[in-house]
Amino acid sequence: MTLLHRRLTKSDLNTLVNDAPAEPVRLSDAHRTSLSTRFRAVSVPGHRRLDAWSVERAGRGGNAFRWSPGTARRVLGNASLRRMTTQPTSVRDAVRDELGDQMLRAVSGYSRSGSLSNWLASAPHPVIGLVTAEAVNWATQLQEISQWLEVPWEVPGSDAYYDVATARTTLRARRDLVVHHNGTRTVVRVRSGSPGTSAGPGLRADLTIAALADHDGVAPVRYIGLWPEAGICLSVDGTMSDLRSGARDLVRTAVAQRRRGTLLAA
Amino acid sequence: MLDPSPLSVVEALRGDRTKRPLIDIASAGGLRSLLEDGIFAILGASRLETPIVVRASSLRQGCATPDLAASTPGRIRGVLIGQLLRLLSVGMSIDHAFDDAVAAWRGDVDTNVLIQHLDALDDDDRARLATDLEAHCVTLTRALGELPARWMPRSSVRATQRLAGGSVVLRDVVDLMIGTSTSEVASIALFDVTTSPLGEGAERSMRYHALMQTLRTSVMPLRTCTFSSATGEIWIRDVDYELLARSVEDVLASIRDQWSAT
Repeated sequence: MTLLHRRLTKSDLNTLVNDAPAEPVRLSDAHRTSLSTRFRAVSVPGHRRLDAWSVERAGRGGNAFRWSPGTARRVLGNASLRRMTTQPTSVRDAVRDELGDQMLRAVSGYSRSGSLSNWLASAPHPVIGLVTAEAVNWATQLQEISQWLEVPWEVPGSDAYYDVATARTTLRARRDLVVHHNGTRTVVRVRSGSPGTSAGPGLRADLTIAALADHDGVAPVRYIGLWPEAGICLSVDGTMSDLRSGARDLVRTAVAQRRRGTLLAA
Repeated sequence: MLDPSPLSVVEALRGDRTKRPLIDIASAGGLRSLLEDGIFAILGASRLETPIVVRASSLRQGCATPDLAASTPGRIRGVLIGQLLRLLSVGMSIDHAFDDAVAAWRGDVDTNVLIQHLDALDDDDRARLATDLEAHCVTLTRALGELPARWMPRSSVRATQRLAGGSVVLRDVVDLMIGTSTSEVASIALFDVTTSPLGEGAERSMRYHALMQTLRTSVMPLRTCTFSSATGEIWIRDVDYELLARSVEDVLASIRDQWSAT
């Protein structure tokens, strides 16, 4: 395995980006078919969603999702930074514009129930202020990280998603910055708190999903996880061994989820 | 060190740009080593199952003067003023300090002991708290002035550091941070607000914020300050290695106290 642990500094981050493997690994149709077969063998009644977080928690469910300033900050913060790459403005103004667009979507009827737009449109004024503060924090942090990078980067429009064929399973990989270097791509993912012992498997799961989500199956040469609150970064390389390990962890998580579901039903 | 409140706290924190020192990225490693060596001297090679946790509040305690903010009403007031600071940091106008702060708080967290305590207050106590908070808010708003977006203000900035293989965890939340770590000169200023009068504990707390920021980003901040919304007093200190080394001693003393208490 290729897990690297570094301090989150400008030089360490650039070293991680610049020293990434030169040749990306490619997943074939046979790999996709094999994964699909394994997921089909772990059937569930409904639709299953897996991500790095579920791998890190070994399939244990958390609290039900609800929108809050904390859960909205990443969506709004990333969108604000993406906005800033096309029109120079302050972080605060970019966040306000993004909030305005989200609320406009709800008012004009283009958002579904339970969406961020709907929640924002019904939130009281002080909560909107707090959402702004959280999104400004996130966007400022991501902007500082991006300013450290010495190679071109972009804020992706969304996370990477992959629907496993005929297995009623959707995989999601978080990605906050995509760095292009020598014709390859390195993905940067930012998380709150500090990394736990299962942070490596989580990163590998994201790496595998990012490779699967790529149309040609090309894996990122390196997946870098940043924990700014702890000042730590971890990375895994896009090697076949790491990709296999990531896929195994995802299947194991599906098994653990089903086992828990069965126990609860019993 | 004890200054009357300037017209704008943020202006005072930013100071004269031409006089700022070059960014210091070399000291963090040395401070971390000081901490690790000091912790080893206290705990030895043993790995604790339950880590010793150090927070700014751990350093405030143990002073001769009692911390008024440590009582439950004081903690509620502190949380609410923190919420107001967050709203002010993004340029929101505060119409009704108490109602706005409570609405923001409820939108931010699930119900907890403090919210339950707030809900249990009778009308008189609630009105008293609202009036009290209004006064604190006026003091804070006047001192803070307007926060320009170009200074990149962000609020409630968290930091966590695991030391001694996870046996010691340092946690911190800075109420307001301005400036950037990407500039060639030191520019990060840390602003902490307390609803009690300033005392010895506040000084330790402001040193701790600077230490945690240095450990987190490996970049030494420019200044650290603490502001009392009760009295309008502000203490501002330039951050240097000596100040951070003193904070390391504060942290080690807190760890020693907690370790000997177990």
